[in-house]
Amino acid sequence: MTSLIKLELARALRNRKFLFFSVLYPSILFLIFSSSSGSDDRVDGTGLTVATYLMVSMASFGALTAVLMGNSERIAKERESGWVRQLRLTSLPGRGYVLAKTAGAAVVSLPSIVVVFAVAGAIKHVRLDAWQWLALTGVIWAGSLVFAALGVAIGYLASGDAVRPITMIIYFGLSILGGLWMPSTTFPQWLQDIAEWLPTHAYAALGRAIEQSQAPGAQDIAVLAVYFVLFAGGAAWLYRKDTLKA
Amino acid sequence: MTTTAETAAAKATSVVAFDQVTKSYGNVRAVDGLSLALHPGETVALLGPNGAGKSTTLDLLLGLKHADSGTVSVFGTGPREAIVAGRVGAMLQSGGLMEEVTVAELVRLACDLHPKRFKVQDVMARAGVSQIADRKVNKLSGGQAQRVRFALATAGDSDLIVLDEPTTGMDVSARQAFWATMREQADQGRTVLFATHYLEEADAIADRVLVLHRGRLLADGTAAEIKAKAGARSVRFDLEGVIDETALRGLPFLTSLDVSGQTVRIQSADADATVHALYGLGVYPRNLEVAGLGLEQAFVAITEAEEAKQS
Repeated sequence: MTSLIKLELARALRNRKFLFFSVLYPSILFLIFSSSSGSDDRVDGTGLTVATYLMVSMASFGALTAVLMGNSERIAKERESGWVRQLRLTSLPGRGYVLAKTAGAAVVSLPSIVVVFAVAGAIKHVRLDAWQWLALTGVIWAGSLVFAALGVAIGYLASGDAVRPITMIIYFGLSILGGLWMPSTTFPQWLQDIAEWLPTHAYAALGRAIEQSQAPGAQDIAVLAVYFVLFAGGAAWLYRKDTLKA
Repeated sequence: MTTTAETAAAKATSVVAFDQVTKSYGNVRAVDGLSLALHPGETVALLGPNGAGKSTTLDLLLGLKHADSGTVSVFGTGPREAIVAGRVGAMLQSGGLMEEVTVAELVRLACDLHPKRFKVQDVMARAGVSQIADRKVNKLSGGQAQRVRFALATAGDSDLIVLDEPTTGMDVSARQAFWATMREQADQGRTVLFATHYLEEADAIADRVLVLHRGRLLADGTAAEIKAKAGARSVRFDLEGVIDETALRGLPFLTSLDVSGQTVRIQSADADATVHALYGLGVYPRNLEVAGLGLEQAFVAITEAEEAKQS
C-alpha cells in the first residue's frame, strides 16, 4: 500500500496547475481581501484584526481546495477509466486506494496552509504565539480530513462528466456560505442562521478560537464531528456499492 | 451431470472451477448455468462473438462481479483470496491505467503490489515496454497501452494469467509479437486463459477452446475440433428430377441436409470432399454455391447440432 501512496504523492506534487490553485491561490486571495483594510481594523465581535481573521479563513480555504478539488474528480475519472477495477486485481486492500488518495491530498494541503501563514506573517505582520501557530497548523490540517472524506464521497457519487460542476457548486457554496471569503457576520440574519451549521463555518471557527486564545466552541466541534461521520460513512457506503456494481 | 463429490474433487485440483454459475443484468442472462474447469498448465481460449458473456465470465472469475447463483472457485478458494495470495495476474479489456505517471513507475507499483514479485526491469523487458519506460502513461498508443497492461498482469509469479481480448487495437505484427510473449508465459508452466472473438487467435495459441454463446458453454475441445465445427461451409445447389435424399445423406463430412423443392442445402465440415463425392453420385448439380459460415453462423450451427443431439 505504501508504494501506491508514494506514487500518489509524487503525482500530486508533480501537477503544477493543481499546486498553483491549492497552494498559491489562497495566499493571493488573502492579499487581495486584506488589502483594503488597515492593520488596526478589527472584525466586529472577534477582537481580531482583519488580516488575522482572514488568515484563518484563507488557510482553511486552501486546505479545502487541496483535499476537495483533486480527489473527487480523480476518483470519478479513475472509476470510469477502469483503473479502480485494475487495482482490484492486485493484493491492495480495498481501503488502500482511498487512503492513498487522501494522503496525496494531505501532502498538498499542508503547504497551502503554511504558505498563507508565511504570507500573513511577512506581509501583513500577523503576530501570534508559537503555540498558536503550531496549533493552528495542526487543527486546520487535521480538520481538512472532513472535506477529504467529502471529496471521496463525491468521487464515488458522480460520473466523470458531472463531477466537476458538482464539486464546484459544493466547493464555492461551502466556501462562501461558511464565511471563508467574507465574515458571515456581514450576511443577513437568516443566512447567518444557516451558515452557523455548515462544516466550513465550524472549521474556520476552530482556528479563530485558537487565535483568540480561547477553548474551541463545543458546537463547532460537534458540527465538524457529525459532518465527518456523515461524509466518511457516505464515502464508505458509496465505495462498497461501487465495488459490488463494478 | 456431475455428482457433488466429483465437483468437490474438481474444485480441489482445478485452477478454476465454475459450478452452475448464473449472472443476469435485468432481464438479460449474461452467464447462464455455466460449469467449467481449467486444469494446471493449460492455455485456454474463451471464444465467442460479442455479447456471448466472455467479459462477464472473466469478471466473475476475478471476483469483480458476484454470481447470482452457483459458485466460482479459483485454486480452491474464492477469487479475491487467490488474487491476494498472488496466484492470479489479470489484464482487463480496456482496463484503465493511472495517468500522469511513467510506464516504469506504474510497472514498479504493480511489482510492489504482487506478493511474488519479479524485478521491474525483467517485467518491462518481457512485456516489451523497456523502450517506453520513461513515457507518461497517458501519452501511449493503443498497442503500447496494451503491452503496459500485459506488464501489470505479469508483474509477479502468478500461476494463472487471465487476459480479456488482449490484442484489441493491435495491428497484425504487434499481435504476433504479443502472442510470442504470451506463449513464453505458458511455456513457464502457467495456466493461461484468454478471451477472444478471433478463431485464428484461439487456433494459434490455445490447447483448449471453450466456445461461449449467450452465456452458455457450447463446445469444449481442442482448437482443431472447434475449427472443424466452426470451419463448416454451406453448399447449395439445384437438382433436376427426383432427388435421392438417402444418397445425399451419405455424403462425407455432411453435418446437415435440407431439401426444398429442387434446391438442396448442405452444411459440411469439409466442403471440398463433400462436393467431390457429390459428383461421384452421378448427379449434375446446377447453380452450385459454396460459402463459408461466419463465426456467428458457425456458433448457431454448433448450437443446433448440440440441441439436436440432446433432443
